[in-house]
Amino acid sequence: MSTRLSSGWAVVLAVLTLIMGASTCLADAAARDLPPPGRIRDLDYGDVLFHFFQDDYFGALVRLEVSRDLRRIDHHSAEAELLSGGLYLSLGLHAEASKIFDRLLAGPVPGSVSDRAHFYLARIGYQRGYYADAWRSLQRIRAPLPGALESERRLLASNVLMAQGRFGEAVGALQAAPNDDWAPYARFNLGVALVRSGASAEGRSLLESVGTMPAQTDEERSLRDRANLALGFALLQERAGEPAVAALNRVRLDGPFSNRALLGLGWAESDVTRPERALVPWLELRERRLLDSAVQESFLAVPYAYAQLASNGQAAEQYRLAVKAYADEAVRIDESIASIRKGGFLDAILDATPGDETGGWFWQLQNVPDAPHTRYLYHLLASHEFQEGLKNFRDLRIMQRNLERSHESLAAFDDMVAARGQAAAERAPRKAQMLAGIDLDALARRESDAAARIADIESRRDVAALAAGADASRWAALDRVESALAALPAGPQRDALAERARLLRGTLLWQLDADYKVRLRGVQRSLRESQLALDEARRRVALVQQAGETAPRDTATFAARIGNLARRVDALGPPVDTTAAAQERVLASIAVRELETQKRRLASYAMQAQFALASLYDRAAAGGAR
Amino acid sequence: MSSRRRGRSARTRWGACACAMLVFGGALATSRSHAAESAQDSRKVDEDVQALKKQLLDLNRDLFRLEEEILYPASTQVAVFLSVDVGTFFALDSVTLKLDDKEVANYLYTEREVQALHRGGVQKLYLGNLKAGEHEIVAFFTGKGPHDRDYRRGATLKFEKAIGAKYVELRISDREASLQPEFVVRQWE
Repeated sequence: MSTRLSSGWAVVLAVLTLIMGASTCLADAAARDLPPPGRIRDLDYGDVLFHFFQDDYFGALVRLEVSRDLRRIDHHSAEAELLSGGLYLSLGLHAEASKIFDRLLAGPVPGSVSDRAHFYLARIGYQRGYYADAWRSLQRIRAPLPGALESERRLLASNVLMAQGRFGEAVGALQAAPNDDWAPYARFNLGVALVRSGASAEGRSLLESVGTMPAQTDEERSLRDRANLALGFALLQERAGEPAVAALNRVRLDGPFSNRALLGLGWAESDVTRPERALVPWLELRERRLLDSAVQESFLAVPYAYAQLASNGQAAEQYRLAVKAYADEAVRIDESIASIRKGGFLDAILDATPGDETGGWFWQLQNVPDAPHTRYLYHLLASHEFQEGLKNFRDLRIMQRNLERSHESLAAFDDMVAARGQAAAERAPRKAQMLAGIDLDALARRESDAAARIADIESRRDVAALAAGADASRWAALDRVESALAALPAGPQRDALAERARLLRGTLLWQLDADYKVRLRGVQRSLRESQLALDEARRRVALVQQAGETAPRDTATFAARIGNLARRVDALGPPVDTTAAAQERVLASIAVRELETQKRRLASYAMQAQFALASLYDRAAAGGAR
Repeated sequence: MSSRRRGRSARTRWGACACAMLVFGGALATSRSHAAESAQDSRKVDEDVQALKKQLLDLNRDLFRLEEEILYPASTQVAVFLSVDVGTFFALDSVTLKLDDKEVANYLYTEREVQALHRGGVQKLYLGNLKAGEHEIVAFFTGKGPHDRDYRRGATLKFEKAIGAKYVELRISDREASLQPEFVVRQWE
């Protein structure tokens, strides 16, 4: 009977754990199920999603905020705002997430975005226990949500209704839902809630449907086990032994719920007066690790069954075994309590789990080594409070590492900026000398003169002025010849030479005239090119001058920003350390409290075993006397 | 005789139960008050953690921005992104990236990263600096092609870098007509 009493507690605990498990899954999936957007129109938004889809919520949020500040994701502004709310929610910053969704809904946004914002607000309301607000937000959703979110919305709606005790409406909402991946979870939650509320028949029927569903994946098999376990214990409470046996027999022997199922199965068999069959699961259970309360209870259940079978000798032997096992376990619990009180037990646990900072670490805790400080940890995880605290502690350790890295980065930036400033200062005189040597105005004047000259040549069609190379040399030679001829005494010889020079000049002029247009276009092109080159030179000189003026200012601005960030890093360090220590103290106190409760339970079991043993001796003595 | 024994046994169990209830009752009362205390402590620590997280997030945002401005100023910045559109004909293993014949990135993908790309994420594969002028980018994609065969293809692009950030996208898509993957390098304005 006493075992039955604690079985009742086991049911309550199991139900609580299962419900909490479901809500934790919801919290973890907070932003993960946001549907991917259509075509990426800003690459930086795609970069945010790349981190987001790898569950790196912190990295995604940092990139999102930077890109938004720099106006790099304007094409996705509404989606980005929605995503940032989901990311804050995933990081556990509910207040910040609520602010974002409210702000989003206050502005003009497409219906699909406002529907999703209402959905996330509903989820926040549900997680924080504001069920009426959550229901109001759900009712504001106008159209079916995209992808898996629609199924999740229906599950959330049924959970909110259940939380408000509106079971009939929850059943209605559930019946209207299609039979998709989320439906079994909804049926399970509702089944458990109905059983708890007293509507047992309806609740059992829902649990039965989940407990007998075909299961392909581990997750589905686990849900089926949970449903059968809950159903089995619900039936046990109603003293319906045979159907309880059927339900509990469906729980896998190697699954996470097998211990409680084996214990319940024994009680169900015992309930229909088959103690010999009750022994089978209890003896199997007794071989398992004594950390589990179901295993502890089996040490009392086995001799109880022997006593039922009137095997008093075996019963007495088993009671003595139980007393010793409880005493040994109590010693181990004391060791664990001492070890936890010494401190550092959480770091030892985190060190033993892989260094993945994004996710998947939590469930690997069951593989931590069997040391005094870790032995009972996996069982402590059944407590929601402990789970949340452990997550916080891990986040704080990640924050500490983040601050260390930030500190190192800032030191490196500081050196870099100082080096740049020094290099710029060293370059400054050389740069000033070089800039002083460049007379752009003189170049501009020359370019202007050239333009005027070309315009003059063109207006006068001065073909000789465009002579170049050999033609220019010949033209100059003819000038020299004509000058020399002018110095000669007049006479037929000079006339003959002058005539030859005239012919040569005419020939040359004819050739120059033929090439004139090509040459004119050539010089005009060269002039345009030189104008462009001069503009480019002006721009570059201006840039160099500007860089010279702004570099010290930029360096000073960077140095100031680095200094400011370094102060913020330094200021954050102590509160993070203090909070981590406080979190460890809280978790240690929860752990010690749980272990002491367990110790008291073991003491109670030991007392029951001794009491039963005394009773057996008493009966044996009475039988002997007769 | 037998019924007398059963009745006695039942009484014994009731006695044990009463003791257990006394023990549990005390334990529960004590643990309930401790639990309330620790719940209050937990809430306080939780609030502190959330406030610190927000501060750390803001700090990281400012640091991220400073880092980019110092290391990759907008005037010289060049960013190379990688995206996957459908990607049924090619399973990505790695990408090698060369800028002006110099290898600047050689990236080996995890399953998780490939999944993130398939879901619509775009990876910022390389962030660096380039002078204004003409440059050439060459990307080599290695993985499994159609019929699970080893597959290596290159794609190239010559581009003009002006003053201001330059974005280049490497895109892996499906060419339905030939049932082959397609690798494209394109500039973003």
